[in-house]
Amino acid sequence: MSKNRAVIELVDVKKVYRVGNEEVYAVNGISMKVEEGEFLCIMGASGSGKTTLLSLMGCLDRPTYGSVLIDGIDTKELSDRELTDIRREKIGFVFQQYHLIPTLTAFENVELPMLLKGVPKAERERRAMELLEIMGIAKAANRKPSELSGGMQQRVAIARALANNPEILLCDEPTGNLDTKSGEVVMNLIKEQNDRGVTVVLVTHDPEIARYAERVIRIRDGKIVEV
Amino acid sequence: MYFQLAFRNLRRNGIRSALAIVGIIIGVMAVASIGIFSANLKTSFLSSFQNVTDEVLIYPAYNAHFRHGLVTTSGVMYIDKRTAERIVRLPYVRDYAFVKDTFTTARHREEVFGVTVYGMEENAVKKLFKAEKGVLRLSDSCVVGYDLADRLKLRVGSRIEVNGHNLRVSAILKETGARFDVNPNNAIIVSLRDYDRIFNTKNEGYNFIIVWVKSLKDVSLFKDAVDKTVNAREKKVEVFELKIIIDQINKGFSFVSRFLMAIAGISLLVAGVSILNIMLMSTLERTREIGVMMAIGAYRTTILKLFLLEALILGIIGSVIGAILSLAGGYAVDMMILHSAKYLLSLTTLGYMIEGMFFGLLTTLISGLYPAWKASRLEPLEALRYE
Repeated sequence: MSKNRAVIELVDVKKVYRVGNEEVYAVNGISMKVEEGEFLCIMGASGSGKTTLLSLMGCLDRPTYGSVLIDGIDTKELSDRELTDIRREKIGFVFQQYHLIPTLTAFENVELPMLLKGVPKAERERRAMELLEIMGIAKAANRKPSELSGGMQQRVAIARALANNPEILLCDEPTGNLDTKSGEVVMNLIKEQNDRGVTVVLVTHDPEIARYAERVIRIRDGKIVEV
Repeated sequence: MYFQLAFRNLRRNGIRSALAIVGIIIGVMAVASIGIFSANLKTSFLSSFQNVTDEVLIYPAYNAHFRHGLVTTSGVMYIDKRTAERIVRLPYVRDYAFVKDTFTTARHREEVFGVTVYGMEENAVKKLFKAEKGVLRLSDSCVVGYDLADRLKLRVGSRIEVNGHNLRVSAILKETGARFDVNPNNAIIVSLRDYDRIFNTKNEGYNFIIVWVKSLKDVSLFKDAVDKTVNAREKKVEVFELKIIIDQINKGFSFVSRFLMAIAGISLLVAGVSILNIMLMSTLERTREIGVMMAIGAYRTTILKLFLLEALILGIIGSVIGAILSLAGGYAVDMMILHSAKYLLSLTTLGYMIEGMFFGLLTTLISGLYPAWKASRLEPLEALRYE
């Protein structure tokens, strides 16, 4: 696997938060690579810094020290706008809370990233329907998130994450709010995408979920403790 | 789709958005209604001065009193006949009227009353006024103003005695608005010949001359011509342009109108503050959504535009409804104060409606700017984690 290209590379990354007068290292000197097409699972207890690590990989946040490289591009040098471009073109997010836009229908939620990218309407609609079909929720296309079950909402969220054909899918406890059965459906859908070549990085504290991954790393107190 | 997103966000808090719109409606309505009313008030006031802008009045100059033999026994100054003839033969003059006037007592049956008597040629009277009753004829007869006739119950054929001369009323004039030249409502008008006979003024000049120039731009040319000829050696006459008065009235009205509109604008300001308030609450409530939008690829400018679009939608709805209602508001104020709404439907009204809408939109955009900017400055991760 080491012959594969690194799509995400972290070089001695630290993230410091100030809590009162104290400095807290949420991520404390992590260097690692995520290779193209792999399914990586980051495990750790809550507060171990795993979500912060995922946010740094997803360019939602900037490291205090060190570098994050996406496809070999050092994000340290990039403007807010260029970071947004990277998120939009290369990365899809799946959150524990689904984070769908409540005023938009399932269909429109999937359309939104393409709208932001400037994809023409016809193409947007075709792709959105295709993704909802893949996720097995085409029937719910015109329903608002509040009318959908948690499992269905998460499937809409995955469809949305895939809208712009990202190279990387970043999932933060995607099954955390779901029952076992829905969780399984969601994990199978994510695995399917990985089989199609999408690099998946998944954060969880659930060993059952970690079984889907090819590689698992554990972190504690902002440091990698086991590869 | 951005429009749909913005529109649905506003619908999400329907009552709040509706209240903000009501604020804008009231503000726009207040500004536009006041504007419309002031404009109608001005139009109504100026309507009595219409068609006088090409009119120039010429009075004797005061300094002539001491240097020239223009002083009469009664102590009133006149424009002597030679000077008058020179003036009306100047270029640019389209028409003119020589006028003599005085205030005197007259008698009808047993009643003695004070009255202004004008001496004018018949064609000048016909040019200036219309008869309500009878026919305008000045040979051995007079015409009387509307108010005078009304007060003394005069009819065509009635007789009035002025300075021992008996005059037959040939016509009663229609009521006119305030004028700067001849005010006939409470006056008697006789021919110049009769005037000289009644007051024994055959050798005296005229109290003033009305000159109509060929076109508006000739007013100042004519004035220059008077200064170069009649007034060349010494100032014999004063030239008085009615256009200037109209301009001054216009200026005064527009100042008052601006002032009233500014006061009405305070209500728009209040509406602006309420929009600022609801938009700020909206950004706070939607912090996580903003974070999501940013995570899936919305630029900061996109967030800014989305929030401005929401403000704009509130502004457009409020301003359009407000502008339409201002027509009703203008009508109400017109009826209340002017007792007439005949000037309501005009281009000026439309202008003030558009102006009201413009200020309504401007207010909402300015109020929306800060919340929109604030939303766009959120950090995506912090926004996502916001509880």
